[in-house]
Amino acid sequence: MNKDVSMEIQLGAQSDRGRAREDNEDCFRAVPELGLFVLSDGMGGQASGEIASRMVCDTVVERCLDAAEISACVSDNGAVDVSELGNRLADAIRVANSAVRRAAEENPAQSGMGATVVAIMLTDERATIAHVGDSRAYRLRNGQLEQLTRDHSFVEEQVNQGLMSQQEAAQSNLQNVLMRAVGADADVQVEVNEDLFAEGDTLLLCSDGLTKELSDSQIAAVLGGSEDSQEAAQQLVDMANAAGGNDNITVIVLRNTPKFAGALQRIGRWFRGS
Amino acid sequence: MPRLTLKFENAVLNEVPVGPKEVSIGRSPDNGLVIDNPAVSHYHARVFNEEGRLMLEDFGSLNGTFVNGQRVKMVSLKPGDSVAIGKHTILVSDSRETADPFWKGGAPKPAAPKINETVMLDTKERREFMQKVAAVGESSQPAPARVKLITLVVRKGRTDKSEYTLTDKLTVIGKSQMATVKLTSWFAPKAAAQINRREDNCYYIGAADRTPSVNGAPVVHPRKLSAGDVINVAGVEMEVVYRD
Repeated sequence: MNKDVSMEIQLGAQSDRGRAREDNEDCFRAVPELGLFVLSDGMGGQASGEIASRMVCDTVVERCLDAAEISACVSDNGAVDVSELGNRLADAIRVANSAVRRAAEENPAQSGMGATVVAIMLTDERATIAHVGDSRAYRLRNGQLEQLTRDHSFVEEQVNQGLMSQQEAAQSNLQNVLMRAVGADADVQVEVNEDLFAEGDTLLLCSDGLTKELSDSQIAAVLGGSEDSQEAAQQLVDMANAAGGNDNITVIVLRNTPKFAGALQRIGRWFRGS
Repeated sequence: MPRLTLKFENAVLNEVPVGPKEVSIGRSPDNGLVIDNPAVSHYHARVFNEEGRLMLEDFGSLNGTFVNGQRVKMVSLKPGDSVAIGKHTILVSDSRETADPFWKGGAPKPAAPKINETVMLDTKERREFMQKVAAVGESSQPAPARVKLITLVVRKGRTDKSEYTLTDKLTVIGKSQMATVKLTSWFAPKAAAQINRREDNCYYIGAADRTPSVNGAPVVHPRKLSAGDVINVAGVEMEVVYRD
């Protein structure tokens, strides 16, 4: 089990159906004791998207809990084996891929269902991020918002290969076409990245229902303007709905609060003898 | 109904029908066909229907509009013509399905609806797309297949080692315990900067507590590192090299 407590992480999360859809096919899970947070956006007819995203979230959480019980990712000298964390997340997502495909095969109503996923594991001041699809992870640092994950979408691939500019991509009719998704193929290619999550940083995981409605600067303003993660999460959802709410909206806000405040709290607890 | 297909080298970027309203072409996003390229004027040209003929008019653009290789001001277009604007090509074609009702003045078909739902490209389409991309790929840089590790050689400043080979996906430059490049100066911040190795196997440097500079230019957004780059951050200067 990851018992690292050197960070004070403030968590806020919200998932909303939006104003245009009949169902909420987004899903998220937070497991603070593992430092694990996962978000998934499902797709497929007859509300099977809901089944896919829930299966992805539950499978990832289960696999990570199991792996943590079997062995901690901490060696004798206390150093965290980071690459192992990345492998665990990727493994968990691959297992989820098989689970979704099996369910789709067994149930005709669920045939063709799939989901995106973005999962993050926090240790020390490091975030290990695994993702498939176009749900995103962002980091706000010193007022600047940076997208930490690259979309696995058709237009992003075009931009990457120099076949299309960012602006053409933003106007393309094919923006919502994914190159990778959980449940699409027998094998899923998971992208794993590691990033610094330092004091004062704020991480945001979100489904595309948020970023289809709000610009980066609007998102940065909300994250930077609020002290409380839950308040920021609610505000993002409200703003996205006000801007149209054309898709399900899910956000997870994680704030690495400055140690100073944390130290005072810890001293307070010690004095009270707990 | 006539159709304009926008291409860049061999890749199709966009396709618009020409209905009763004109299609304006240019760099500005409010055009009917947007070409985002510095060689293209904001309002470069337009294509419109005049008494059953498809016409192209150049708006007096700086770099001109060429049809089948010839620079034009106002000319009629027919299916198969190739219009060049900057490095982009617009092919003129006729929509076969509608069997040409518009040329004769019939009602136009509505444009294809935007895909609002997220969909996955099926395996066959994905494979075709990848092949297309690979074919064009000669002109663009392919991502390196194997990881080539970079080494940072310290030229100035106080660090615990004189060089560092970056084997991890995330490298922190700073004083903290998790820093690979440990800054030993008393004033050094816990995390001055970070270097990420991404899926394309390239390294990107980004700011943390300090804003690093590469070859003198401050790093505002994460910037890809190349051999020979000189990084300056928190009083330390390092050069990027590849050791075999």
